[in-house]
Amino acid sequence: MAVHATGAASPELHSSSRRQALIFAAAGLACWLGPARALDAPSGAVVLTVQGRVRLPNDGKRAQFDMAMLEGLPQRTLQTRTPWYPQARRFTGPLLRGLLAAAGAQGSNLRLVALNDYQVDMPMDDALRHDVIVARLMDDKPMAVRDKGPLFIIYPFDAQPELRSAVYYGRSAWQLRTIEVL
Amino acid sequence: MPPAGAGQPRQQGLGWLGLVGFGLLVALLAVALVQARQYALLREAMRSGDDYAVLSVYQAEIEYLRLRESWRHAVDVPADQDLQALRLRYEIFVSRLRLLQNENARRRIAETQEHLDTLTALERFVLRADAELGEQAGRMPSARFLADAWPELEALGAPVHGLSLSAAHRTAERAEGRNLAVRRQNQLGLGLTVFMSVLTLAFAYIALRQVRQLRARRVVLEQLAASLGEARREAESANRAKTAFLANISHEIRTPFHGLMGMLSLLRETGLTPRQIDYLRTATESADHLLAILNDLLDMSQLESGRLTLAPVPVDLRALLRDVEALMRPQASAKALALHLDTDPAVPERVMADPTRLKQVLFNLLSNAIKFSDRGAVVLDLRLRPGAQGEQELEFAVVDTGMGMDEATLGKLFTRFVQGDTSRSRRHPGAGLGLEISRNLARLMRGDITVSSRVGEGSCFTLRLPLTPVPATAEPGPKPDTTAAPGGRALRVLVAEDHPVNRQYIAALLENLGHQAEFASNGETALAAARETRFDLVLMDLHMPLLDGVAATRAIRALPQPAQSTVPIVAMTADGFQETRERCLVAGMNDFLTKPVSPQKLATLLRQLFGSAEGVFAPDGQATAAPAHARSPMGATPLLDEAAIAAALQAMPRAKLAGMIQSFLDQGPQTVQHLRAAVRDAQPLELRVNAHAVKGAALNLGLSALAQTASALQEGAAHLPAHEIARLVQRYEDLLPVTRQAARDAGLLVPGSPG
Repeated sequence: MAVHATGAASPELHSSSRRQALIFAAAGLACWLGPARALDAPSGAVVLTVQGRVRLPNDGKRAQFDMAMLEGLPQRTLQTRTPWYPQARRFTGPLLRGLLAAAGAQGSNLRLVALNDYQVDMPMDDALRHDVIVARLMDDKPMAVRDKGPLFIIYPFDAQPELRSAVYYGRSAWQLRTIEVL
Repeated sequence: MPPAGAGQPRQQGLGWLGLVGFGLLVALLAVALVQARQYALLREAMRSGDDYAVLSVYQAEIEYLRLRESWRHAVDVPADQDLQALRLRYEIFVSRLRLLQNENARRRIAETQEHLDTLTALERFVLRADAELGEQAGRMPSARFLADAWPELEALGAPVHGLSLSAAHRTAERAEGRNLAVRRQNQLGLGLTVFMSVLTLAFAYIALRQVRQLRARRVVLEQLAASLGEARREAESANRAKTAFLANISHEIRTPFHGLMGMLSLLRETGLTPRQIDYLRTATESADHLLAILNDLLDMSQLESGRLTLAPVPVDLRALLRDVEALMRPQASAKALALHLDTDPAVPERVMADPTRLKQVLFNLLSNAIKFSDRGAVVLDLRLRPGAQGEQELEFAVVDTGMGMDEATLGKLFTRFVQGDTSRSRRHPGAGLGLEISRNLARLMRGDITVSSRVGEGSCFTLRLPLTPVPATAEPGPKPDTTAAPGGRALRVLVAEDHPVNRQYIAALLENLGHQAEFASNGETALAAARETRFDLVLMDLHMPLLDGVAATRAIRALPQPAQSTVPIVAMTADGFQETRERCLVAGMNDFLTKPVSPQKLATLLRQLFGSAEGVFAPDGQATAAPAHARSPMGATPLLDEAAIAAALQAMPRAKLAGMIQSFLDQGPQTVQHLRAAVRDAQPLELRVNAHAVKGAALNLGLSALAQTASALQEGAAHLPAHEIARLVQRYEDLLPVTRQAARDAGLLVPGSPG
């Protein structure tokens, strides 16, 4: 929490230096969590798998999360309009970079894979620069698979107008199943 | 080019320009419209999301196929694990189906009833399956349900595939339509570009043509300006030719006329009968009148060409008026008219004026007044008047008691060749130039002539002139004095004149005045005679064969002998132009005599040049012979200044003063030599310095005549003519022996000293 607060408290930093700070923060978080709080094994149904260059796996080489674990990470709520719904919606879930830090992910690229095998690549940069969340609640309710659930990558579209483009809409994978760190 | 012809093409050009400009405007608007439409098209394509819709349909079909695969597997091999996977597949299929069901997607995909039916069938199947297979069902579906529903699921295969194919076709059609629209827009844009290019070319062409036309017009204007300048030069040269013609004619007429008048005046002395004398008087009067007209014409031509210049000198106004009165009185007496000339005592004694021209104006005004009055009096009143700017003006008012004039006559009065009225002009013939010349002369003198008159009561002509006081340093001018006759000594005069009649006439005049005339009929003879003989005066006609007067004068002035080269030379010509006068003076002449030469003119000239009998100096030392000369060459100035000598004697013994005077007089010849050298070398400064030194010494020694001569030399060194200076030097030399004698007589020289 404190480390994250440090990262969030310096928004005026230059993006690259901020990125470095976040990487250190992530690394620090990993070091701090690493030996003391190794990632627990999921107790419920696995909803998200982080694989690839993961330093804190809890299942072989993969880091697996159930809903409770995701809920346990620092949460962020944002309200934004999206191309998929006529009105603005409230999305709640852990920050993507927090989740990656929890898994000890180290890489430059993320490959997001959905339940229907839809896959898209997102630069690690996006997770560090923007407050991208892995939404698990929409309007404070869990999302069913038929409602693009259970997990939905959401960028802060309203806060940052430059994100309102096909590139970022494409990276907003729904029915998120796996994140592969490359 | 006439204005109408010039205006027509320009207006046409402007019309074309406007047309092209309008076309360009329209084309630009059309381009803007095309761009706007292209933008709209692009936006529509982006918004429609056709590709996205097709993708959704494909995805839905894929999910359908996957679900069907899983479903078949579950029906064939019922196992728990597979059912969980089946449920997930089902849920994913439903999520895909929902994307097709929203309003937007429906509009794009389901356009025919068949498609709507397919969507409805899919929804119906989901509704049925949700109860068993949906997440909300809470339990796993029974194998029986799976088997029952299988045919329905399988039957959906063909319509779903049709849906995706149809969506693909629709999208392809839409894309084709868009491409077509874009192509049409492109063609339109291309057409517009071509159109605009054509218009721009037309614009450039018109602009080019305008520039060419402007250039052509400028060339025409330049030619016009050049031809106008040429015309002006021609007019000016024609005018000059006219003036020259006038001057030539006046000369040509006046030369024989001069002889005619001279002969008439000589004829009178030849013992005529009274009857002949009467005829002769009439002839003389006619000749005088003709001469007056000729003079008027000459004055007019000079005034017109602006060549008449004034020569202001200090003038004694009262003496000038006396002269005028003396000349006009006979005319007035002849008509039994009283003539009064009255001068206000406030009028200064002497003013700066051109006496000749002032007299001319006054003569004209007075003779008019006398001419047009049959009784009563003619009065000339001179007084001072404040002028327009508060300065003092001289006002000459000529008042008569004649017939007067009405307004209409007054208006035409100063116009050329117009007399008061035609009936009068018959009675009083004249060229009608007099008043115009007078007014022009008055204006030349920075004054004017005005007139007021009433019919039957007389007229008043007023000449106003600015009062120019005589500067304190000005030399007294020659006072006109026609009564005094030139003095006694017979002068030897060389008359250079090619016309025999004129020679004879001038000879007669000179002989009447008691002088001796010799003749030269051309410039070369004149030069030879002047070289051989020392004349007192040369009268030089300007127009002579071989060598004209001006060239002869230059040659005489260049003679080596100082006595011969400094002889006074006076020009004689009928050509009275100022520039001729200047040419003569530049050539070294001393004065200027306008033909016809009257006895008075000649006498005045001789008096001006040689003064009274006492003033005439013979450089041969004749001065020493006559006691009158020994008394004083200056008339009033004594040779010795008794008072100065007495003062000197108080300061020093008589012997010492005598020694100093002797020494000064002994240096005399040397002094004269210096002065002559300075004159010869034209060194006025040196002359002045020498004269100044001599003057100081002579004053101290009481040699007043020598001192005065030296003083005159000093003052006149810069501006006196060469012959005057030569005369002064000569006088100085002449004074030396006389003064020595006077000093010896006064006991101021050691007896027996050289003299």
